[in-house]
Amino acid sequence: MLQNLWNGLVQGGIYAIVALGYTMVYGILLLINFAHGEVLMIGAYTGVATLAGCAGTGAMEAVGFMPCLAMAIIGATCVSAAYGFAIERAVYRPLRGAPSLSPLIGAIGVSMVLQNYVMRTQGASPIYAPMSHPAYVASLGASNWDIGPVSIAPLDLVVLVVCVALMAGLWMFVQRTRTGTAMRATSQDRVMAGLVGIDVNRVISVTFVIGSALAAVAGVLLALFNTQAKYDMGFTSGMKAFTAAVLGGIGNVPGAMLGGVLLGVAEAVGIQLLGAEYKEVYSFVILLAVLIVRPKGILGERVAEKV
Amino acid sequence: MSAAPILELRDVCAAYGPIQALRGVSIRVAPGEIVALIGCNGAGKTTTLMTVSQVVRATAGDVTFDGCSILGVPTADVVARGLCHVPEGRRIFARLSVRENLAMGAFLVRDKALIQRRMDDAFQLFPILGERAGQLGGTLSGGEQQMLAIARALMLEPKMLLLDEPSLGLAPLIVRRIFDVIRSLRERGIAVLLVEQNAQMALRAADRAYVLETGAITHEGPALTLLDDPAIREAYLGA
Repeated sequence: MLQNLWNGLVQGGIYAIVALGYTMVYGILLLINFAHGEVLMIGAYTGVATLAGCAGTGAMEAVGFMPCLAMAIIGATCVSAAYGFAIERAVYRPLRGAPSLSPLIGAIGVSMVLQNYVMRTQGASPIYAPMSHPAYVASLGASNWDIGPVSIAPLDLVVLVVCVALMAGLWMFVQRTRTGTAMRATSQDRVMAGLVGIDVNRVISVTFVIGSALAAVAGVLLALFNTQAKYDMGFTSGMKAFTAAVLGGIGNVPGAMLGGVLLGVAEAVGIQLLGAEYKEVYSFVILLAVLIVRPKGILGERVAEKV
Repeated sequence: MSAAPILELRDVCAAYGPIQALRGVSIRVAPGEIVALIGCNGAGKTTTLMTVSQVVRATAGDVTFDGCSILGVPTADVVARGLCHVPEGRRIFARLSVRENLAMGAFLVRDKALIQRRMDDAFQLFPILGERAGQLGGTLSGGEQQMLAIARALMLEPKMLLLDEPSLGLAPLIVRRIFDVIRSLRERGIAVLLVEQNAQMALRAADRAYVLETGAITHEGPALTLLDDPAIREAYLGA
């Protein structure tokens, strides 16, 4: 049981940082960015390709696994952030002010385009992270620590530390900085934000860049978890994170963090009680239950008025 | 009026879809002058202000501020030129603290010491805001929110303020306090274009005034003259 809870917590950390991207974009544009999962997938591909490149060129032997992982994460972050920025510019901005269904369909369209684009160019079979490489085995492949009944894998710990650090960093950014405060102001009243001199378009771009960067990190971590990246991996993780965002209260930053962790733990409890076969079912049952019982989510201030 | 106007609207038209909201509105405001714009519900007062701050695009005519046309300029850039708009309904950032609301008013100011100094000025002008500095904007009373809305606009030390219905829904005592502050703007050299339903209060505070009816100016002149005009008195002052 405790082992499952630990696993759920680690998984929940990843859900949380993906959910942040959904919730920040929704907070400002009232748009569910269904392409967010694909941005994560592109991050995962970039990260795994970088790791594979490091392994293939011998760089991983030379500097060890962790520097390569850091490089993979930074590379993935940059590529995904560029995609997020471009998607908003090319698709959502021209549709701003259009009926709310148009950007939503646009988001679904972008999601399909990116999936098929990656499938065509990278192939339909997954690419694998070099996790049998000696450098990996020497660092994160080391044997687990046993603390009482819980066995903690080094990779789990890395994932959790990275997720907590990112959440703390984002929280500080949103609460303490000038741009972060402008983001909150814009999400509360976009017209008024313009009237105090905030460049609303810039704030929206920053929101997409940050959300996409977070998704990229989550993508690389997920790829390590599953040892692979695949063109359709964004769909499931995207839906899970969307569930987490709704659970916590969409549009609400602490809500997304809470929702992600709760969803991970709830899945773990479900696996414990009902078996792992229905793993994917639990989160969507939770999504339905939240939408029926408390549509504004745990910390949500407002009911979702758009799909 | 002799000096070059700080704000000038020339034959401004605006429309919402097929509905013509403004049909050639011309208004001039001199530097440091308080000008009232009065009229009934739906006359186009708010739309007039919106076309100035470029939230609503004018379909014809021109708007110049400080000698330059600002037509089609992004709202944030209009603000940066020193023209602040306090919209109807105050639009306080409800989930930002009073202090953060003021800081957002000074979004375009980079100098932290300057922001702090202006925040102190705001707390001096409205001591109640100082007492409530850490509270969320949404928890303030209507009067306090109106004070915060004006204080937020003053954080930029603008050359001109657009004030939309500052007295709406407020107790008479608070309305008087707000109008005292509006009058004090004249001494600070800040021009004001004041939209009001409370024509009595507006005409007493203003130097000049315009009357707007269904999207067109029907009267204009010194505020006190309009205050004595029988037609205006009958239509807008209930006397």
